[in-house]
Amino acid sequence: MFRLSDADKRVWLLIGTITIIGILFIPFSRIFLDVSYNYTLRTVALGGAILGIVSGVLGCFAVLRHESLMGDALSHAALPGVAIAFLLVGREPGALLIGAGIASWIGVQFIRALLNTTRIKQDTAMGIVLAAWFAAGIVLLAYIQSRSDASQAGLDTFIFGQAAAIVAEDVQLISTVGFVAFLVLALFWKEFKLVTFDVEFAGANGFRVGFINILLSTLIVVAIVLGLQLAGVILMVGMLIAPGIAARQWTHKLDQMVILSAVFGAFAGGTGAILSAVDADVPTGPMIIVVAFAIVTISIAFAPGRGLAWSLLRRRGDRKRFAAQQTLRDLYKYAISHGGASYPVPASFIEGVGGANVKTGLAQLEYHGHIKADGNVWCLTASGARLAEQDARNQQLWDVYREFSDELDIPLIAEDRQRDIHEMLPQAALEKLDHKLKEVLA
Amino acid sequence: MFALESFFVDVLLMIFSHEEINAFLRNPQNTATIIGTLIAISGALLGTFLLLRGMSLTSDAISHTVLLGIVVAFMIMTSLFNLEPDTSSPWLIIGAALAGVATVVLTELIYRSGLVKQDAALGLAFPLLFAISIILISRFVEDVHIDEDAVMVGEIGVAWANTNSHCIENCQTITITADSDLAETSRQCTNCRELNISPRDDGAEFREVCSNCGTYSPGQAWQAGLLEEEPVQVFFPKSITVTVVMAIITILFVILFYKELKLASFDEALAKALGLRPGVLHYALMILVSLVAVGAFDAVGSILVIAFFIIPPAAAYLLTDRLSLMLIFSAIIGSLGAFFGYDLARGTFLVFFEISDLLAWLNNTFALDLVEEWDSSISASMVMMIFVFFLVSWIFSPKYGLISTFLRRTGQKSQFDDQVVLAHIYNHRDMPDAGQELAADTLHEHFSWSNAKMGRILARLKALNVIREVDNMVELTEKGEDRVQQFRQTQLASELA
Repeated sequence: MFRLSDADKRVWLLIGTITIIGILFIPFSRIFLDVSYNYTLRTVALGGAILGIVSGVLGCFAVLRHESLMGDALSHAALPGVAIAFLLVGREPGALLIGAGIASWIGVQFIRALLNTTRIKQDTAMGIVLAAWFAAGIVLLAYIQSRSDASQAGLDTFIFGQAAAIVAEDVQLISTVGFVAFLVLALFWKEFKLVTFDVEFAGANGFRVGFINILLSTLIVVAIVLGLQLAGVILMVGMLIAPGIAARQWTHKLDQMVILSAVFGAFAGGTGAILSAVDADVPTGPMIIVVAFAIVTISIAFAPGRGLAWSLLRRRGDRKRFAAQQTLRDLYKYAISHGGASYPVPASFIEGVGGANVKTGLAQLEYHGHIKADGNVWCLTASGARLAEQDARNQQLWDVYREFSDELDIPLIAEDRQRDIHEMLPQAALEKLDHKLKEVLA
Repeated sequence: MFALESFFVDVLLMIFSHEEINAFLRNPQNTATIIGTLIAISGALLGTFLLLRGMSLTSDAISHTVLLGIVVAFMIMTSLFNLEPDTSSPWLIIGAALAGVATVVLTELIYRSGLVKQDAALGLAFPLLFAISIILISRFVEDVHIDEDAVMVGEIGVAWANTNSHCIENCQTITITADSDLAETSRQCTNCRELNISPRDDGAEFREVCSNCGTYSPGQAWQAGLLEEEPVQVFFPKSITVTVVMAIITILFVILFYKELKLASFDEALAKALGLRPGVLHYALMILVSLVAVGAFDAVGSILVIAFFIIPPAAAYLLTDRLSLMLIFSAIIGSLGAFFGYDLARGTFLVFFEISDLLAWLNNTFALDLVEEWDSSISASMVMMIFVFFLVSWIFSPKYGLISTFLRRTGQKSQFDDQVVLAHIYNHRDMPDAGQELAADTLHEHFSWSNAKMGRILARLKALNVIREVDNMVELTEKGEDRVQQFRQTQLASELA
């Protein structure tokens, strides 16, 4: 029924591998890192993993919409909401979350209003909201602290995050709210996808872009507010976008990216919490960020087709191939003009004309059996001669193509002389080129 | 630093007496306002260039990672050199500046890989560096002065109390050595703990210990009762020195490299072509941002400082198109915010409004139980005032403000309506269907407008004396004729162009 491409298989394999590593990490940490799984750690690790899933999934959209730093602005903007909710109803986790959500949400709308009515750019608008909202929060917090009856313990955990304070009810709350957010995401999947990648197209097709934007940013606010207690205001942005950035490196499909990002987020949240339990002094939120960043680093370095290691290898391969081709041409030209393809070419000549890459080129050609050394001279082998001949002919065809493609009415293609022109043009066009080439040579 | 401070004190003493200076600086409001204003000026000047280069949030990243520089420099100094530095130590400042540059470099490295967008690169780099510094603080640095509250909001309110004393009269430095008359000595057992014996035991060995030996500065000597006459001293808050130096460096930088900064901000390629090295300038700017961030760290904390970088330039950006004016406006807005912010923290909003009145009103109206005395964070209140000034310029800016934009749009709209009606009359007069098309009471039907709207527009046009109504028919006056010809010509000209 399903036919998976190689790239798809790779992504699913990766998702499976990370999940298994994540599960195996629990016995590993127990045996080798001497971590004891008490109630607190179980709750925190579970909470971290679930938060990782929620923020990983919703963070993908922030990353794709170039709104990565929105997470930073909105997490800071939550503070006055927390303070006002505390002033009005006291320390009720649910009320504090709602207050935080409302304050961030007003922040989003303020940013949009600034962008729509002034020439201020997005980064500055986010900076204004970040600083002003946070200052309002600090002003209110200082006012709360100055009251004699204040039982405000736990409010500054919203700033730095305090994972140890998470209890089972919090995890339940996070799961419930996260589940609702996912339901909304599933319902509006198509709309979100369209608005993320092509706003104009969505608008032209009658989607209500304004409403969808507000809904999507509301979901991102939800993810941020849920995460504040664990990661804190400052680190929340990393928690939000790091899994998405890592996932982006492995795939070009949104659905795969979202699932992969959820797995990365869960992995970072869970293992980060467990690692921070190895030493009592290491705080949980920062440890989660460090793990998440490690995942990003590995992804950027090794992701197939896109990663740095990959492009490094590709560049080296290209360089070798290019050197070999260049050297082969020089050898062939010399040999032909001195009597025949197998005519020996003095090493001193080829090293003199070949430039810096000639050693690489010779080594490559010899390795592939296209040339062989004979004392102080190089000879083309039969396969080398054939290859050089093909290449020369290919270049001639390209020359003809460049000069006469209009006249011969040949389809337009990108002129890539590294490639065989036979692969790129239809048979009829090639026959025309061939004919023209004969004419020109005659 | 201390020598520089003495120089400031000498300059001040030329104008004021030492009593005046001490009384002025001992007032928390004066010291806090001076420090706030200086930070606001440096931040606003640098922030203007950050805004123009689209790097506003880089200041956010730098102000956070400055903490990493401070922590690492602190750890190196305590473990390698056995020193106990405080946050105004030059080594910590250098460490912080390096961390700021490291953030920018790390961001650019991630970005240059081509795999991650610029905003995402920034969003990855600074939480990582901040996370590392938090882990280092909680894991390795035991009792540091860097506590969490200070990171968040700073201590501008108590800056007046953290002073260096400068002696100007009766300055006597006293040195007590072990054999001077003033030395208080006592005997201490050197091997009691080791051997677990009492000092009365025979085997106990003693040495003489001087408990008050050392060098006393004039102030310390007076407090220890070693001087007969009180030395005359000036107490100068350390934060003022740091922020003054910071502001002077920033102002000099902006004045000296004004042309280069301007060119590099608006047209980097041209700057490069003219040999101005925008790259060097870029890093110089980043180093200055880090220096201001660390200089302001003590006073306003690492998050609120970004408000001083971002909000005043944004407000000035709405007020003017000229770079020089933008720099001046943003410095003024920042300073005003710092000035009125202190009052706001103490409960007065812009001289005339008391916050306790608002709280009392809230209590009465909604039956809440709020404490009516208002005493809040000074640095955050300064930011709030700056934000208020931003809102004011957003609403009232003559060119880009909400009101002027609204007025301009409605003006354009009514002008457009006028033109449509005039053109309609122009096109249909003298035509066979004129009787139908130009009847005043059915005119609105031809535009699909409401009768009321049509009536308003006709009244306006009549008042302008461009149309008149004869027997329920509208027609153009001579002035109206001219008007139509005029805009037809401009329209033709623009179409031809």
